[in-house]
Amino acid sequence: MSVRNPGMKIDLEWVSKVRVNTQAVLNRAQQIQSIKLAKKQWQAAWLLKAVTCIDLTTLGGDDTQSNVHRLCMKAVQPVPRELLGSLAMQDKGVRTAAVCVYPSRVADAVRSLKAANSNLPVASVATGFPAGQTPLRARLEEVRAAVADGASEVDIVINRTLALTGQWEAMYDEIRQFREACGDAHMKSILATGELGTFTNVYKASLVSMMAGSDFIKTSTGKESVNATYPVAIVMVRAIRDYFLHTGHKVGFKPAGGIRTAQESLVWLTLMKEELGPQWLGPHLFRLGASSLLADIERQIFHYVTGRYPALNELPMA
Amino acid sequence: MADGPSNTVFDIFLSMESGPTGPSAATSQAWLESRSRALGPLIHGRFTAPDDRWTRSLKDAKGDSVCSVLCAVEEDISQGVSSSASGFLSWSALSCHQRATVLLKWASALGQYGPCVAEVSDLSPASCPPASLVRLAQYYSSWAQLRDTLLPHWSPLGVVEVVVSDDCPLYFLMLKVLPALAMGNSVLVVPGLSTAPSALLLAQLFTEAGLPAGALNVLTGNVVSLGAAVACNPTVRSDGAELCRAAAGVSVSMSCSTRAVCPFIVFESADVDSAVDGAIEAAFEKRKEVQWVLYVQESVMDSVVARLRLRMAGLQCEALRDEAEHSLVEAAVLGAQQQGATLIQAGGPPATGLQYPPTVLCGVAPSSPCVSCPTPGPLLPLLAFRSHAEGVTLGNHSPHGHAASIWTEDLTLALEAAKSGHKDSGSCTDGGQEGLYQFLQPSSSPSPPRSSPASLDYNQFGSQFVGGKSCKSQSGGSVVVQAPDGASVLAYCPDGGRKDVRNAVEAASKVQPGWMKKAPSARAQSLYSLAKGLEAKRQEMAASISAQTGLSLDEADQEVELSVGRLTDWAARCTQVQGGAPAVPQAGSALSLPEALGVVGVILPDNKPLLSLVTLLGAAVAMGNAVVMVLQASDLPAGLVNIISGARDQLTVALANHNVIKAGCQYLQHTAPFKTLWLHGQGSGDQGSFWAPASPALLEETWQQATQWKSIWIPTA
Repeated sequence: MSVRNPGMKIDLEWVSKVRVNTQAVLNRAQQIQSIKLAKKQWQAAWLLKAVTCIDLTTLGGDDTQSNVHRLCMKAVQPVPRELLGSLAMQDKGVRTAAVCVYPSRVADAVRSLKAANSNLPVASVATGFPAGQTPLRARLEEVRAAVADGASEVDIVINRTLALTGQWEAMYDEIRQFREACGDAHMKSILATGELGTFTNVYKASLVSMMAGSDFIKTSTGKESVNATYPVAIVMVRAIRDYFLHTGHKVGFKPAGGIRTAQESLVWLTLMKEELGPQWLGPHLFRLGASSLLADIERQIFHYVTGRYPALNELPMA
Repeated sequence: MADGPSNTVFDIFLSMESGPTGPSAATSQAWLESRSRALGPLIHGRFTAPDDRWTRSLKDAKGDSVCSVLCAVEEDISQGVSSSASGFLSWSALSCHQRATVLLKWASALGQYGPCVAEVSDLSPASCPPASLVRLAQYYSSWAQLRDTLLPHWSPLGVVEVVVSDDCPLYFLMLKVLPALAMGNSVLVVPGLSTAPSALLLAQLFTEAGLPAGALNVLTGNVVSLGAAVACNPTVRSDGAELCRAAAGVSVSMSCSTRAVCPFIVFESADVDSAVDGAIEAAFEKRKEVQWVLYVQESVMDSVVARLRLRMAGLQCEALRDEAEHSLVEAAVLGAQQQGATLIQAGGPPATGLQYPPTVLCGVAPSSPCVSCPTPGPLLPLLAFRSHAEGVTLGNHSPHGHAASIWTEDLTLALEAAKSGHKDSGSCTDGGQEGLYQFLQPSSSPSPPRSSPASLDYNQFGSQFVGGKSCKSQSGGSVVVQAPDGASVLAYCPDGGRKDVRNAVEAASKVQPGWMKKAPSARAQSLYSLAKGLEAKRQEMAASISAQTGLSLDEADQEVELSVGRLTDWAARCTQVQGGAPAVPQAGSALSLPEALGVVGVILPDNKPLLSLVTLLGAAVAMGNAVVMVLQASDLPAGLVNIISGARDQLTVALANHNVIKAGCQYLQHTAPFKTLWLHGQGSGDQGSFWAPASPALLEETWQQATQWKSIWIPTA
């Protein structure tokens, strides 16, 4: 990641003026999904780009050192060397953007990556993930602990209670404190859009999170019943564009939850390119939170290289 | 695009270019090959391709010739017309159910040949996805099935000619053809150059779907001369007004002033991002169904412009039709710049050849030619307004236009703006049940006179129409002028001239808006009291009619009685006829509202002076129109003046009833070249029979003629 978003003083007038037309947003989402995508080397290149944007994630209650280790090794070498070789991409640094784990597993991940001689960032979810319903003191402590263990990115969840009751200033203050607790670690704010009720709320929450200094805004925890959808993404990236037009700071976007197919990853890239432009197409400003997506992308790249679809057991496991 | 040096995976990985996604055109090419790339007229279910015809070449976006289109000549026209006449007999003889089945079969044929239809449609700049045609066909198939059930007193017109201009989108063409067919007419299509391949392919599919030969013929060639030539052919039963309706609705006219200019109004309460996306889609991506002008409230102007800049950066150049269009567009942009407009242009690869980048002209004046008389091509003028009211006024300030797009999240404001929008360029209503009446006539009414279409000059419709009604004489007659405030009859003017008409029209347009805004019940009350006044003067009235028309006193009395009944009828309808909330295929809800046309010119026949007058006047006034009446001869019953002044308190202000001789054409000409015209079957043997029967269809038709329908679509999730 590069330049950070310093944030700004909260501007409640701006927040209060937000208007979102639901039908127009749904319409735009349809349009973006219907854009035809190029095949052949374009598809292969775009899929590799998607790989470099993945936050390879495991967020299970049953995570242990061993599966976190496997995940880290997969993140360092997400596509088999021989496949990359056939595409002349073996030395172009194709690896996922980060690994993403629970705070208690950060130390495991950092150790595994260090052993593998990799500087791949470790991201940690925090602040009472996924519900955020723990005392502020505990949530702040969680951030500090993750950073102390070596997390260089922190995915915090916003306080939905405050968002739903319109206490934007209070929400801003909380996120500001999280940002301080993060220190040099980059902060991604999870809005849990499936629980915010309206697009207007999503837009407002996006603005407040960015004003409070989020480097990324992220759709969902992956634990809500509705996760990353294209319409909600359009609302969020429009807020990002709005913030950029006002302040000149570029904030990144991370859809997460339910993204499983290579085709979907291409639509997400298209959405970013259409709405924000090509400069948002890279891990510094775009992440895909996913766990099983990578396997499908590998399959498609395997097919592009060999003309055959592999059985799942032919590809290295995460 | 082979794997060139700049297209390795790594290069694309860095540049993230989108790559080529050109649609395949295999099936359309195969179809064109099967026709030897020379598309001739389709008459009686068969393609005809005589060798000795002029051809017009259809070019694609790159300027390469795709195919040639044969120009029909006199011989083809007469073949087409006689085929259509026989096609009408076999098509209208089918049952409603059979016609509905053919339409449904056509819809499924569309699905079956979907890729080919889509590719052929892509040859024209305003392409249309097969799915929307399928939806249209299914919709009108339902109407075909239900015609006799829901429209029992109506029958088809006969042969309907549909003429569209060269740049008219295929969808609008089919929006005319399908309802005409569904109502049992046979249709003769004269498609524009760019829609010709699609029209021919669709007609071919109709033949496969079991449409009787001749029920749908396609004549290709020069739209204007062909359209007029077919209309003049005495065997086409569809009258001149039909041609006007069909043509006006899709802006066939040559002068760019008749191109529809539609306002796209963005209020400060709008979702600005969505509004900008919507504007770009309407103006640049959907390729011009109409010309849009963007009006933005000043308080959000900066954010709209900032977003336009970002979104425009990703747009590609668009291909123009020819060299002439290219220089037109360049001249328009230059003209706007000289008036101080700044440009926002697409940031894609630079234009080559006949391409032009999508361009927003910021800060043009309403007087600028690119606003008032827009050129084709990817231009979008952008104007600022201060208040809500000013936005609506600016948006309305154009003679033509059949739609507006209003962006606000404030529903009250949206509906107020939508309701106050009003255009003078009445043409016809498309879609829905209201749109069917243009292809129907009351079963009981006599056919329109043959003389007027025959003498039709396409370019001077208004005056020719009046001419056809023998109103052209400059001399003779007398005029009754009544003051707009209705205080009294001013004078009997022996020589009504154009100045009287001018005054009449001025007065009428002054009072009409206020009258239209009155509650329907208030209008009803006015009409009731008019009826009451007529009733009170019944004997004098009858005597006067009898004296002037030579009818017996009994007959005259009967006419007065019928007239009172007719007026009461209209009064009753004021409050009973409402719009509705039709179902729409898109998400959201729609409102369909009947509205007054504005100022209506009425030319009355000689016979049944009182009854015809109250029939037409009553309907028009009940809907909220103001009326300028033209009488053929000086047989206005003297008593009428008394009646009107008797009820003047409520009514006369709105009526602004100037009774003028001969000069109706003047008004029609100078205010609205495409005024809706309605021809009556007067002059047939039994002169009185047209007005007397109170058939529901006649009343309905009269009512429809006094009404324009406004549809308001409120998109919601």
